[in-house]
Amino acid sequence: MNVCRHLLWIQCPECVSRFLTPVKRVILPGGPYLHQQTVALQQSQVLRSFHCSAVCSTSQQDQKEPKEASERETQSKDRTLVTHEDIFEKAAKNSKTKGNFNRVVDVFTKNDIRRRGHVEFIYAALKQMPEFGVEQDITVYNKLLDVFPKEVFVPRNFIQRMFNHYPRQQECGVQLLEQMENYGIMPNVETKVLLAQVFGKKSHPMRKYQRIMYWFPKFKHTNPYPIPQVLPSDPIDLARFSLARIASDPDAKITVFQYQTTDITETGEEVLRPYIVGIQSPEQRSLLAKHNHCRPVFVEGPFPLWLRKTCVHYYLLRADPIPPEEKVKKEFDPEWIGPEQSLFYPQRVELDLERDIGDDDSFDVDDVEEGPVYAMCMAGQGDETTLAQWISDLQETCPTLGQIPTVFRLESGPGELLTSSDVQQSPELEFETDHIIEDEPLYSKRVKQ
Amino acid sequence: MALSRTTFKTLFGIPRVIYRQPLSFPSTSPSSCILSTRGAYERDYRRPGQAPDTRWPWQKIRFDFSKGVEGIRKHFGLLKDEFVNRWTGPEGKPLINHMLEQTQVQWEFRGPESLNQWIVSSDQEIGGHSAAYIKTGRNNTTCFLYGMLCSTPPRDGETRYSGYCTMRSKQPLGSFDRKKHYDWSNFNTLHMRIRGDGRPWMVNISAETYFSHQRDDIYSYFLYTRGGPYWQDVKIPFSKFFLSSRGRIQDDQHALWLDKVNSIGFTLGDKADGPFQLEIDFIALCNDHAHTEEFAYELYKRNPEV
Repeated sequence: MNVCRHLLWIQCPECVSRFLTPVKRVILPGGPYLHQQTVALQQSQVLRSFHCSAVCSTSQQDQKEPKEASERETQSKDRTLVTHEDIFEKAAKNSKTKGNFNRVVDVFTKNDIRRRGHVEFIYAALKQMPEFGVEQDITVYNKLLDVFPKEVFVPRNFIQRMFNHYPRQQECGVQLLEQMENYGIMPNVETKVLLAQVFGKKSHPMRKYQRIMYWFPKFKHTNPYPIPQVLPSDPIDLARFSLARIASDPDAKITVFQYQTTDITETGEEVLRPYIVGIQSPEQRSLLAKHNHCRPVFVEGPFPLWLRKTCVHYYLLRADPIPPEEKVKKEFDPEWIGPEQSLFYPQRVELDLERDIGDDDSFDVDDVEEGPVYAMCMAGQGDETTLAQWISDLQETCPTLGQIPTVFRLESGPGELLTSSDVQQSPELEFETDHIIEDEPLYSKRVKQ
Repeated sequence: MALSRTTFKTLFGIPRVIYRQPLSFPSTSPSSCILSTRGAYERDYRRPGQAPDTRWPWQKIRFDFSKGVEGIRKHFGLLKDEFVNRWTGPEGKPLINHMLEQTQVQWEFRGPESLNQWIVSSDQEIGGHSAAYIKTGRNNTTCFLYGMLCSTPPRDGETRYSGYCTMRSKQPLGSFDRKKHYDWSNFNTLHMRIRGDGRPWMVNISAETYFSHQRDDIYSYFLYTRGGPYWQDVKIPFSKFFLSSRGRIQDDQHALWLDKVNSIGFTLGDKADGPFQLEIDFIALCNDHAHTEEFAYELYKRNPEV
């Protein structure tokens, strides 16, 4: 700090003469706005010219409130040890908003030109940010960076550069950037300018900023199935989005079978009818039409699907894999010419060519036998009545579903796709089958139409 | 008491000659002598609150005779195989296959014994509350990794973040537990068939290193799952893997060398508390001829001295 004072003496000799007289007009690098501010400042705050940042707040009203608050605080000082967290908690009692958070930071900033205890304050502020709901806000991080006094921690000679100048403050800056990195927030040019002013161009926080700015853009768009930052709040829109995501077929059609309504029955009770959103593609529909009526179809669920931090659940309508002896091999008629067939290029070529090892791209793996999935749905409640409603609604498009026995396999916890053979074989799963609700084969009521 | 004289490296790496008294066996307090074993650089993670490992190096050797005759038979059998397999070709495959093959299935989960090659761990090692388990999927045909993530950090005063779980393959061992490496130099893409629940995972490959500073070097890349009931084929070229050490991505990047790969692992740490599941069918390597990229990230010196 001696260095700063020494520099001040060199840089503003004319201020020395004015040190004892009230300051009326001081030319500051911050711009004409600060001129109004300095009129009210005390004499020691002539030094402000050295420490102020290029970032100025534009509203005058904000200036008055923290000044009053700081005056109130100095008046009510009863000389007890007050930690920085307590200041935030006091502000939190009103309401945990960004405005309150900014106000607390402003109180601290205006309190002392030398920003005594700013490191602890910034650590406390970083810890309190999630509670105030501002952890995703880059402007708040920049405001916190603004708390650091400028140009004080920039090394001036080679010895300071060698010996990790102001290590605690540099570590604090790094932790601030680390919290930004944890929440995945991209810093902006204001952050860079502030870091350069506070710590200098070759400091640890600046290096960390450079690393963030190198890697974040590279990894931002690596997700082949991107999820938007803000998910739709309406559960039906969320269901639409997630069903379209997992369907993997662009032809699949989403139908909303039932909207969420609250019905009032005759006795006056409120009955909540949950929403049912289903998805089925034309290929699944044709497969379901060809399904053997002797074999049951299973309604399985709920399966978890995570979208960022929210977990939604979906239900499946699927059948067991057909055993190999019952598989009907599709007979190929070589003379049949389909709608998009060219006369010059046959559909199948009977050649005895085999691929050499050097050209074989297939994997030497046995395929996992799995039954076909006929439809998927998401519902507000996962109970049998809702899913039975879904099945009966599905019959509008697939009338054969009425004759196929439907078995419900609903589990309370996150489950995997079970098969009946799996349930019979492993004795460990017998405990789980106790709470698997297995219904009798449900013949739907609409068959009688 | 006769004094013994040994060279001992201190914290700063300066070799020094120290005179110290030989310890009575079994030793309970090596710190009673002038310099203790705590001067050695602590390699593995030490849980806060746990006393540091102050054993002398010779006390750390374990002679295990529990396996008995079967162990000897197994190791000598492996040794015999290593000699005999060289006649058919490298790694027991005919030379023509080794040279020309374009795909190789490395891990295929068929049956419960395929799970023995994998180690599952979660942050319970550092005192967290996540849990991770592994089992075979339906019909004993796939590997099902499931559990619960919990990101409350352990209250030991040191750890700040928590909530992860990993599944890592064991290092291949030859006869007498010698370390072997996978040679994937013929291939340039990792192909996996997985079925996740929408969570973003991370694939970590650790290769054989030379220096002790490279002990925690891991090459990682993201594995995004779509979720849903359908299988997902994921192809990640090896040029996309970036170098990281102890969870921090490094400044000096270089491509993964495929000739000595030790293990592969999947880790989840996406700060979303709740249950997770990942089903893996197989992990294979293939050769994508259209992919000519050698490395996806810049190799020149970033963060240069200005």
